[in-house]
Amino acid sequence: MSAPIVRAASGGRFLRNRVLLPLVGVLIVACAWEATLLVYQLPVIVLPAPLSVVQTLGELVVTASFWHDVGISLYEFGAGYALGVVGGVAVGMLMGESRYFRMTATPVIEAFRFIVPFAWIPLTILWFGTSFTGKILLVAYAVFFVMVVSTARAVAQVEPTLTRVGTMLGMGSVALALNVHLRAAAPGIASGARAAAAIGWIAVVAAEYIGASAGLGVLITNAASSLATATVIAGMIVIGVVGAGVSEAIRWLSRAYLDYR
Amino acid sequence: MSTERTPAATGAQAGGALAFERIFHRYATASGTIDVLDDVSFAVAPGEVACVVGPSGCGKSTLLSLAAGLLRPARGTVRWDGAEVKLGPNSHLGMAFQQPGLFPWLNVRRNVAIGLTTRGNAKRDALRIADEFLDTVGLADFKDAYPNQLSGGMAQRVGIARALALRPRLLLLDEPFAAVDAFTRIKLQQEFKSLLKLNRPTVLFVTHDVSEAILLGDVIVVMSQRPAGVVRIIPVEREDRNRASPAYARKLAEALACLGVTGDADGG
Repeated sequence: MSAPIVRAASGGRFLRNRVLLPLVGVLIVACAWEATLLVYQLPVIVLPAPLSVVQTLGELVVTASFWHDVGISLYEFGAGYALGVVGGVAVGMLMGESRYFRMTATPVIEAFRFIVPFAWIPLTILWFGTSFTGKILLVAYAVFFVMVVSTARAVAQVEPTLTRVGTMLGMGSVALALNVHLRAAAPGIASGARAAAAIGWIAVVAAEYIGASAGLGVLITNAASSLATATVIAGMIVIGVVGAGVSEAIRWLSRAYLDYR
Repeated sequence: MSTERTPAATGAQAGGALAFERIFHRYATASGTIDVLDDVSFAVAPGEVACVVGPSGCGKSTLLSLAAGLLRPARGTVRWDGAEVKLGPNSHLGMAFQQPGLFPWLNVRRNVAIGLTTRGNAKRDALRIADEFLDTVGLADFKDAYPNQLSGGMAQRVGIARALALRPRLLLLDEPFAAVDAFTRIKLQQEFKSLLKLNRPTVLFVTHDVSEAILLGDVIVVMSQRPAGVVRIIPVEREDRNRASPAYARKLAEALACLGVTGDADGG
């Protein structure tokens, strides 16, 4: 039973599941927020009211500089993500296909995998300053290892019969890798790609917090230094919404490709 | 790397000779090695159908993998038309596996056609040939279905169509009718016999069903328990295939006796 069939069955259910219930979730958070304000009598600098954040958000989204910041962050993310996915899938495939490559690459990859992207931020600033390059590479780095590991695992789990069938049909090792293994591993790679998107997006914003001239992270740090707390929170909400949108877009793309399941 | 052998595109070639020469094989497992084949030698003449029967786990499927070049024997030589079978893709053969092994991302007709395009046929021709063979195995209405929409028996028939569509000179079948219901099996067995007449491939057919072996085989290769050797090679004559004849009963008893099954069903 796949999701599209359920959705087609009833527009009312779609309204309930995809609009009303999510709104209830948002409302609960807003109420808890408002209640906290009432109970602790917090000043606006510490925690502004939900409505004033919404109002700030409304003012923010009509400015050109806001969209410039969103665009910069998305650009850094997109370029780094593409680089990391392509490189990670390529290396992961090689690890899945060649025992020699796997044996050689595993210790290096296992070591680097646990050096989280944030640990690299000081070095990237030292090497690349506040340029795009440093952040693109940081995202690529974060995404790369997730993709290597998920691709190698997905290729290793390909049903052995499919390899035998491919060989029987006349495929050599390259054709097997591309036409059978990569294709059969696609669902696993796609779910890795979604996890990687979240990590990459987090890496972009984190890098911008520390050293950048534009982007959502900069928007937030600038607002924080001028004690515009409502803008800080509005920026945080934007980060969350854009991240969720990116993740949904990737899921939609991968579903279009994997609908045979 | 001989160039004289053209891809399956022409289709009209007859089969060649398949020979197992003193084959030993073992598998490595976590707890040591298991000897599977112990000095197996037999030959299948060009265009002949050899049915391999034996207890389960005796290495029947291993024999097929060796003949297909999917495995290299620990010792011994497998020959096709006199030349040693090389490991890797071999364009003279088609094989249907016990697990059908359909590509889940391709619909049924593309699953059948992909072997033909891999071997150099034009896509249009490949799809046309795929349709023909899907008609033959009774799946004309399921050409656009995806493997996850098929029953086990249907998937297995797609696997058979895929092997047959290659019009191979050597056809290897691993219990191809095992997951098919009894009625469809009889129908498929008859279809299969007439299909073989088209281009007379050499066939190695693994089955656990002795009556199927008599019905389809020119010879029956009876294997022993693991580590398996060849117990006997039983030729099958035309009159043996008549299930109502005493010759059929004698042949059945002979084959079963080689497998260690004797006497009445009630244990007498």
